[in-house]
Amino acid sequence: MDTFVQLVVNGLGKGAVFALLALGFVIIFKATEVVNFAHGSLVLFGGYLVVVTRETLGWAGAAVVGVLSAGLLALLVERLLLSRSRLASPFSLALLTIGVDVIITEEIVRRLGVSLPFIGDAWDAQPLQVGGVTMFRTHLVAIVVATVLITLFFLAFRYSNWGIAMRAQAENKEAAALSGVRSWVVTSSAWLVAGLLAGVAVLFIATQDFSGAGLSRGTHSIALAAFPAAIIGGLDSTAGAVVGGLVVGLVDALSTEYVSFAFAKSAVFLVMLVVLVVRPSGLFGTKETTRV
Amino acid sequence: MRRTLAITCAAALVLTACGTKGGGSDGGTEGAGGVTTDVGVTDSEITLGVMTDQTGPFKALSTGITHGNQLWVEDVNAGGGICGRDLKLEIVDHGYKADTAKTLYPQIEPKVLGLVQLVGSPVTAALSEDLEADEMTTTPTSWSSELLSNPYLMVVGTTYDVEMINGLSYLQDEGMLSDGDTIGHIYIDGEYGANGLRGARYYAKQHDLNLKEVKITSSDNDLTNVVTGLRGQGVEAITLTTTPTQTGSVAAANKALGLNVPILGNNPTFDPLLHNSPAAGALDNLYVVASSVPFSADIPKMKDVAQKFDAAGYTEPPNAGVPYGYAVAEVWGAVLEKACENKDMTRSGVHDALQETTSADTGDLVAELDFSTPGAPATREVYVAKPDASVKGGVTYVKPLFESEDAKNYKAPHQE
Repeated sequence: MDTFVQLVVNGLGKGAVFALLALGFVIIFKATEVVNFAHGSLVLFGGYLVVVTRETLGWAGAAVVGVLSAGLLALLVERLLLSRSRLASPFSLALLTIGVDVIITEEIVRRLGVSLPFIGDAWDAQPLQVGGVTMFRTHLVAIVVATVLITLFFLAFRYSNWGIAMRAQAENKEAAALSGVRSWVVTSSAWLVAGLLAGVAVLFIATQDFSGAGLSRGTHSIALAAFPAAIIGGLDSTAGAVVGGLVVGLVDALSTEYVSFAFAKSAVFLVMLVVLVVRPSGLFGTKETTRV
Repeated sequence: MRRTLAITCAAALVLTACGTKGGGSDGGTEGAGGVTTDVGVTDSEITLGVMTDQTGPFKALSTGITHGNQLWVEDVNAGGGICGRDLKLEIVDHGYKADTAKTLYPQIEPKVLGLVQLVGSPVTAALSEDLEADEMTTTPTSWSSELLSNPYLMVVGTTYDVEMINGLSYLQDEGMLSDGDTIGHIYIDGEYGANGLRGARYYAKQHDLNLKEVKITSSDNDLTNVVTGLRGQGVEAITLTTTPTQTGSVAAANKALGLNVPILGNNPTFDPLLHNSPAAGALDNLYVVASSVPFSADIPKMKDVAQKFDAAGYTEPPNAGVPYGYAVAEVWGAVLEKACENKDMTRSGVHDALQETTSADTGDLVAELDFSTPGAPATREVYVAKPDASVKGGVTYVKPLFESEDAKNYKAPHQE
């Protein structure tokens, strides 16, 4: 029983970070119908800025720079590349993001060289014991930060003009434009928010507690592992991203123990396949209906 | 006419290319000092190859070994070289990837007499047939006893299985383990992990241990859930045949989860960079087994190598790879001297010289080696070391060279 509880705690902690990452995929998809395969490189870029500014700015200052830089890079990718291909289909733009991802990732990995810097200074490897259960501080902070950010996002999405504009564009882009919604503002702000979330997530990923390794190519792989989380929840559902993140974290932790470590890596994708067969738009995704 | 000339030239080129490909069995040519030579040896130079990992999971250890190789080359050249020839290293990086190594090997093969360093079990396994076909005497930086079936592989030190048997004996001698206990063994999928596991299985059978095996890959860095599972199964110790990053994860989880059992690792599981990681505070339960000395060892030869390392101004911190790399090259030196004495520095001549090497002295950097028994490890002696951030190289040994009874009785897979 102790083992089960500990695994659930481990899984939920990781799930919070996967939720942050999945939300980044979902926000961009919802606003633009583009699947952003460059999300992993945004994560790496934020982390890399933390590494290079940490010595001069201190960890907290570097963390802020890292988060903002990831947001800014996402904004630039959208403004300089995607917005110029307005007539391209979302599929073509998704392919474009793969190209962006490869270029940014390879350059950062090259710059990192042999170092694998850990960047969760404020919370990494400082576990707490609560009633016989080990709570990893990185997981705890990630849960709190994810809850706050996701709640803020939901409120903004529901009540602010920006949120209404985004929902309008997600429903019907042309009708929204005719009603005065400025499409480029919605699109670029979605990329900015997704980038910021990637910048926050990396502060939890490149830690001993979460990935067991510092900033590296592996960090990028973990960011892409959140993709199934977004699919499971539903690519256009923000609530689904949260649930999907938690499902990924829990499936990974529990299948490691109750099936095998080797199986755990494919277990998440197996769950994704099952969800796609049963509910092709994900657990909370919008069902596509066509009148005939 | 022009066409005939072109065909003749093409045929000549093909024949030349074939002629440079490997092997010393076709006799070679007589060079300076009346010594027969073929590939990688000129009248003034002997070139040895280094196929290392400068960008993969064992880059820190491999870089240390390369520095050790280089220090030895400088020493030998300063003393007039071997057989009247200077030594030279040809270095390539395969990043611990067998496919990259397969591509690099044909490029390096025509230039070198042998390989003084070939990092990685998967890489060595991938190249094993090529090495045998080319009669390329090679020191793998891989200590798997499975490699000993290839007579051209010169494994300097003992093998992972024997390390593990000796290490478990040490834990039991020190009262950290008893017959009938449960232990967990985490190992990387592949020859490295399998060979460490072979040792753990042998020891578990001899001592009625309940062995819980967990297979991972070299890129699985977070092992918290694995350690959580082992805690639930009541393990008394964890043994590792993993990368240093994975060792850090196991050590951190061992402490964080309040398990606090001894962790025993094969020699590549530790890297001094762990002292700069968040796992630094969790390394006190870790024991590392190796048959080469740690960088901090208090023996004259090590002090000499350490001094030369400091003087060389390398930017990377030293690790156990430095003395090992120096010692390996020292063994090569003994083999090359013997080949020179036999007036045969062809590849097959070097191989013959290796088999005549019944005692290679490395000034105690590595336990004394005997390569004359086919299929058997060249030594079964190991040191046990513990992480110590206060010394250069990051480990200090807690038990000097020894060979346990179980290790002595163990039969390696290809031992005759």
